[in-house]
Amino acid sequence: MVIDTLKCVGCSDCVVACQTENNVPIGYCRDWITETVDGVYPSLELELKSERCNHCDNAPCVRCCPTGASHIVDGGIVLVTADECIGCGACIESCPYDARYQHPDGYVDKCTFCHHRLEKGQLPACVSVCPTKCMYFGDLDDPNSEVSQLLKNRKHKTLAPEAGTKPHVFYLI
Amino acid sequence: MQEELFTSGRHIPNIDPSLQIWHWPISLYLFLGGLSAGILFFAALFYLMGKDNEYPTAVKVASIIPPIALSLGLLALVYDLTHKLYTWQLYTTFRIESPMSWGAWVLLIVTPLSFLWTFSYYRDVYPKLEEKLQVFNRFKFLNTVEKFVIENRKYMAYALIPLTLVLGVYTGILLSAFNARPLWNNAILGPLFLTSGLSTGAAAIILLSKKAAEKHLFGKIDLGLIIIELALIVHMIMGYYAGPEVQVEAMQLLVGGEFTVMFFGFVVILGLIIPAILESIEIIGYKTPVFLPALLVLIGGLVFRFVMVEAGQLTRYLY
Repeated sequence: MVIDTLKCVGCSDCVVACQTENNVPIGYCRDWITETVDGVYPSLELELKSERCNHCDNAPCVRCCPTGASHIVDGGIVLVTADECIGCGACIESCPYDARYQHPDGYVDKCTFCHHRLEKGQLPACVSVCPTKCMYFGDLDDPNSEVSQLLKNRKHKTLAPEAGTKPHVFYLI
Repeated sequence: MQEELFTSGRHIPNIDPSLQIWHWPISLYLFLGGLSAGILFFAALFYLMGKDNEYPTAVKVASIIPPIALSLGLLALVYDLTHKLYTWQLYTTFRIESPMSWGAWVLLIVTPLSFLWTFSYYRDVYPKLEEKLQVFNRFKFLNTVEKFVIENRKYMAYALIPLTLVLGVYTGILLSAFNARPLWNNAILGPLFLTSGLSTGAAAIILLSKKAAEKHLFGKIDLGLIIIELALIVHMIMGYYAGPEVQVEAMQLLVGGEFTVMFFGFVVILGLIIPAILESIEIIGYKTPVFLPALLVLIGGLVFRFVMVEAGQLTRYLY
């Protein structure tokens, strides 16, 4: 997933779309908006972005999971099988993005990139609903995909790369 | 002036403003697990050295603690799970990369072994209790079981030595495997928790022992372990100092921050340095109340685990 921080206006539409699409319990969220103001007055810089699970290549949550409930499916998406999760919290402790939470029903839950929508050929809810079209979703292994082209041509960053998790959500800056 | 303002729209229960995922049962379990590992290690070691009659507390008497402590610890662990009915999923797979998986399997072997070990000494240590209860008379098959475990004590001891070492190290690795919590992400935590576990085990043996020679020997062992532990703590802090920014920040919780009094006051001074001084005085030949350093070591070990679990969850990479 690629997110253009220059286009994001921080409207939180992605957050609401996700909560509605995925029946996220009230008070919880799988994605969220952060706002950073940085610089020396008057030249301040504002950065808005939508954050979520980074579906890391070297996912610590998958490594720490004692039952294999956290796993990586084809295409690199990290998912949790609720019936295999014992709610030990190891994955939550291991996530440098703190993108996971304990669902009130006990199991651990997080962003799935709307895997159920992808299977039908649809885009994740957050991407499809973004009014400024600041989010892009696609195959990073395909050099001709929109996301690969964006990353090829634009300056970008990932969050906490020093954690060594090889995150798969990229921010255009 | 450099301005920096940060706002996050995320406010998830138990995640923000800081993690509250692992609570007191985990700290308690880490302590009980370490303590049991320590006692069983000494029991197996001294049995194999043929010193079971010379040091009866270490081999026979103190072994009453591990079955109880491990059972309580396991209960505490399950209590802290949020999807308890699925606990059995732990035993459908073994995941070599997950320390928790290692721990779950090691506990599955060590816990029954600890019961068998204690059971094999039941009639030896508690003859009066058996006279009253007459368990062996009522359930004849117990005689066969007892005969079997006594015959196989040597093999149990051989198995217990590596298993208890793994158990002791795992209580630390469990935390250090999480690179997302900078305070925990320190490889020295494994050996440190093992040493602390062995030290609390030795302290428990001192507390229960009635033989002066045994108390004296375990005082010496404990002193050695305390010195190693202090050295490992110095290493741990050096590791944070030399680490990346997040670790330097994390260390400030222990050094000059919220947990300084708990860590340096209760763990390092009261739990390690004072017992070490008292034990040294005893070794030189002066009379000191031997139970005091042992008790302090046990309390220090417990506080240490609480500090590490609580403080670690305050540290993170991002906001």
